[in-house]
Amino acid sequence: MAYHPGQNIPIPETRYRDRYAIVGVGETDYREDYRAAREAAKSGVQHQNANTVEALAERAFHRALNDSGLGLSDIDGLGVSFLYGGYSAGEMAAQLGVAARCTLACSGVMAGPIPQAVSALERGECHTIALIYGVASQSKGRRFGGQVHQENLAPSSYYYHHPWGWSSQAAHWALAWQHYRAQYDIDEHALAAVSMQLRAHALMTDHSIMHQPLTREGYEKSRYIVWPLHLFDICLVNDGAVCLIIRRSDQSRDLAKTPVLISGWGEATVTQDKMKNLVVHRMSDQFQAAGQQALDMAGVTRDHIQHFECYDASSAHLVNHLEGHGFAAPGETIAGYERGEFGVGGRLPVNTAGGMLSGSYMHGWNHVAEIVHQLRHEAGARQTPGVETAMFSLAQTDQVHPLVFRRGEPT
Amino acid sequence: MTERRPNRILGPLHDPFWHHCDREQLALQRCMSCEHRPWPPVATCEQCGSDSLRWEPVSGQGKLLSWCRFDHDYYLGAMPMPYWNIVVELDEGPIFISNPSQLDQSDFVAGLPLRVSFQQCEDEHGPFRLPVFGPLTPVTPQS
Repeated sequence: MAYHPGQNIPIPETRYRDRYAIVGVGETDYREDYRAAREAAKSGVQHQNANTVEALAERAFHRALNDSGLGLSDIDGLGVSFLYGGYSAGEMAAQLGVAARCTLACSGVMAGPIPQAVSALERGECHTIALIYGVASQSKGRRFGGQVHQENLAPSSYYYHHPWGWSSQAAHWALAWQHYRAQYDIDEHALAAVSMQLRAHALMTDHSIMHQPLTREGYEKSRYIVWPLHLFDICLVNDGAVCLIIRRSDQSRDLAKTPVLISGWGEATVTQDKMKNLVVHRMSDQFQAAGQQALDMAGVTRDHIQHFECYDASSAHLVNHLEGHGFAAPGETIAGYERGEFGVGGRLPVNTAGGMLSGSYMHGWNHVAEIVHQLRHEAGARQTPGVETAMFSLAQTDQVHPLVFRRGEPT
Repeated sequence: MTERRPNRILGPLHDPFWHHCDREQLALQRCMSCEHRPWPPVATCEQCGSDSLRWEPVSGQGKLLSWCRFDHDYYLGAMPMPYWNIVVELDEGPIFISNPSQLDQSDFVAGLPLRVSFQQCEDEHGPFRLPVFGPLTPVTPQS
């Protein structure tokens, strides 16, 4: 099969199961920061208080620390994951006043930092580690797609097809979705059901960016980005930061909040025929392989998963996640959404804070933060009742990296 | 008529493809070790790791797999908006992202047989011939 397991992260092993826990989470004010940046852009004046990634990271860190009940001196490891530049982990530790015995440079997206932190903790390099993700793409005016590219960094499909006018992440999802539509005879505007469900979730979430209801008419009238994908099929671009604090589970019982156990992970990377694998097969081999690794490591089956968060760069990509992991039968995802199966109160609530489409574009870190809230049973109106086991699935165009979490003993 | 296009990626790895296009040939690499046909070009075979790769013409025929239309102007005016892209599964196996030629949206149906042709284009590097795909059966003029 066309994937490499365990290429970028520690091999999933059962000895790590539930051994470490997320004990603190902090997020920035996505909705307020988004609105401020939009207002500044509209007024045409330079955004005076433009967010720097370091300032966002600092805010998320202090919120996570406060959330955990730990003190600054308890943190002796720091990992940073700044997607488009920023301080190194060492510089960030100095800024925060963290005496870090261990620093990690993590990949930007939520594809590996948690297993990497577990590995560092297991090696005894530190006792309690804070992982910080931050991005200031909105304030920086970052553009996506088009001729600008970093040839050595971008995956080849992303930039190679310029002479044909083909570029952007959105175009990947458009081709995969159109192929799926033709295969299963799906209506042109069927993804409205997905986008509307995620918007409904965002309306139940204070910090989520999109806070106007989305109707089917509103969806259908929205402009196309890359047909058949509308504006509301494509994720947001916004500034923000997320911080997670991790330590050993058996040292997490007397802290402020219920620990969220890191139970399993997996990884599968596409190594050849990337576009065919995405457009025709929708990465089904990689979803199955990586998902099974994560479930096996956690010692659970798919039927144990009560809440699911997945990387929704596009509404179309939720179809790939749900069918790839076997949460929906092939060709059945849209019908499932129309029946409310993937909404709060449905058989498997998915992206309950609105995901990246209506919540916040934190490259998978927002999804893990939401899992923490759900497993602590603190998610308010959008809470999945009694949830004990949850799964996150990161998948971009060429990799799948799921994580399984369980609710620890309440403090 | 010459069409203006966003820039090609050029260099030793990429130039043989465009040299074949100049002769109205669609060519892809073939791995001499495992027969894999990578696209876009690679320095070593993505299947077996061999660096023994040779550019060889392919039939230029295939079938339509998927299609999309760009409404968002990612290329900031470099392409007349909107425009279509198609994904062709070549008879030799690889898939090839291209533009339709002599095809309307109403013609798009999965499995449609297609054949390559070459559109005269230019970018900042100069003139070149761009492989595009149209119906396998030549379009007969309407009477």
